Amino acid sequence: AQERQEQLQEREKFLKSRIQELRQRRDALREKVRQAVSELGNLGIASEPDPREVLEWKIQKCRELLRLFRLTGISGKLSPHGISLSLHTSFEGSLLDSFHLELQERGDSGRFWLCRHSVPPFIPLERLARELLPRNPRQFLGILCRHLNTFVGRREQLRKLQEEFPDSVQVLSQNSLCNFLSFRYRIPAESSGEFQEFRAQLRYRDPTGTRPDDVTAVTGDGVAVPEHSELLRRLPLHRALRQIHDTTAGTTTTG
Amino acid sequence: MHFNLPLSKSVVVSHLGLTLMSASTEVQLFIPWKGASPLNLPVAWSYFLQPFSFPGGSIMDETVAEYIRRTVLKMPRDEIKMMLQKWGFLSEAQLQTLNFHQQKDNISQEVVQLCEENSAGIKQAAALDIIYNHIYQNKRMWSVYQMKKSGEEEEYFDIADFKKKFKGRIRSALKNVTITFKEYEDNAIWIRVAWGTPHKKPNQYKPSYVVYHSQTPYVFISASVLKSNLPLLCQALIVASNYRDIREMELRSHSLNSLKDIVFKRYSQNFQTYSPKPVQGWNVEAENADRRIVHENRSVKERIHRLNQESFGCGPQPKLEFAQYRLDTMFKSDPKMDVLDKKEPFRCLVKFSSPHLLESLKSLAPLGMADAPLSPLLTCITHKARNYFKIREKKESFVSP
Repeated sequence: AQERQEQLQEREKFLKSRIQELRQRRDALREKVRQAVSELGNLGIASEPDPREVLEWKIQKCRELLRLFRLTGISGKLSPHGISLSLHTSFEGSLLDSFHLELQERGDSGRFWLCRHSVPPFIPLERLARELLPRNPRQFLGILCRHLNTFVGRREQLRKLQEEFPDSVQVLSQNSLCNFLSFRYRIPAESSGEFQEFRAQLRYRDPTGTRPDDVTAVTGDGVAVPEHSELLRRLPLHRALRQIHDTTAGTTTTG
Repeated sequence: MHFNLPLSKSVVVSHLGLTLMSASTEVQLFIPWKGASPLNLPVAWSYFLQPFSFPGGSIMDETVAEYIRRTVLKMPRDEIKMMLQKWGFLSEAQLQTLNFHQQKDNISQEVVQLCEENSAGIKQAAALDIIYNHIYQNKRMWSVYQMKKSGEEEEYFDIADFKKKFKGRIRSALKNVTITFKEYEDNAIWIRVAWGTPHKKPNQYKPSYVVYHSQTPYVFISASVLKSNLPLLCQALIVASNYRDIREMELRSHSLNSLKDIVFKRYSQNFQTYSPKPVQGWNVEAENADRRIVHENRSVKERIHRLNQESFGCGPQPKLEFAQYRLDTMFKSDPKMDVLDKKEPFRCLVKFSSPHLLESLKSLAPLGMADAPLSPLLTCITHKARNYFKIREKKESFVSP
């Protein structure tokens, strides 16, 4: 718990300094805009801007707004049937799947219910909607977003793991939510080309967790390897395995 | 027909209808006429004249051999090699010895011979059957079942636990079953169950297939003809997956993937979004390459296209073969005409069939064969995940059980 406290405090400090940074950048950009506008004024452009250019500028602004909506992860639109919400998931800077919901309001009560959706069945959507949607739609959306993002993140980690290590990783079992995973991996032990076999099992108890809760990494004979399980617990799968590869290579060349 | 033969060594019999009663010095053979063609008998006899033993020392069961042979016969000739490779029971070296350019009859005999060398059992034979049925899944009719949760959230899905509970539940009621599992990369768990009775061995030729995706409440079942085993199958599924209840949905099709698309919401629905992708309007320019043709009713066509897209979305439709509506409504006519003497509900069954029902419904309005928008009874199929409806008289809206 002490460690967790420290981690949270560090994170807080980091975020605060980031906010400072972004504010400074924003102020600098504002200054630039102001200068540019005043320069324009100095040039004395009095004539009517070309309508075609204005239209193009408007279209460009629209496109940027739409892109911004997507980047925030949630966007919504009023539709004839109610509210149409789109949840965009991402992992490590790449935009991935989008899921959609349609909500309708019961009369004027301010309570919403779920009409249509494109959320996969292993996400507990009905339970969340039943518990949260009527009273607290914001919380419902927030939690649903987290479920979807963490699911897509876990799935993407697995995909990247298999993509980066096609020959040295073999998945033994997984499930739809990707929250229980076991796979075999082998590391070149010596420069002679011999391999060491390991087996890992990961379990994510919290469906909205991005890091596994139970990790066991064992050698072929069943001996636990705490360094590996620590890396698999802390880092995304493909990065953990990359590091395992590098550290093993490092020790053999120096040792 | 009844033969007594003294034999000094155990032999393998692997042909139509020959049943090995005991592998001791005396062998009784029953040859039912059904299926025993004169061509095969001489070959069968040759086995008796040259008894041979195996490295493992065990005899492959005659029923297993026959089942493998018939499974291979089902496969198209140019796919046999691929399926055997997927099976993985015969080594690459063994597969090299097979000649895939001869008649299928001969190929299957050779395959069985190789299986004998490896002492194939019913488990391996069932695995081969799953492989065939997975590739040719669209030959079977699949129904969708929905399970209901018992309330507590399940942390994670452990497949070993699932398998153990499933087998345990079935075996506690029926000893004579063959249960085989195979997992595929899309998280689909295929289960094959061959059913027997307390006194008979399982009938391998009429198994049931179940496809289950972990952590979902849906199960896809292609039941065997022996429908009496369905309740036990359903029981085992809810026990194994920690659910409380299971019911059959009114959704059936040959295309398993389309059924999955419908219940997993993987088909393209028309959601209003602020999406930066280009609006897919009906492109008049593309169709109107010849400027001498003028479309007089362009706006009508665009309206139809738009309404159609709202109902069906813009992507490909899931593949269903029929939609069935059981009507139990009053016949509505001009009171003056009084077509029916008695005021009785008009019962009839309306069935729409097509190789690809939803695509054909989608094309009705653009082709001018129906008005857009189509009746919600037709457009709600994917959303309500059903293609069997019961329409009763109730305030103009349908009620289905």
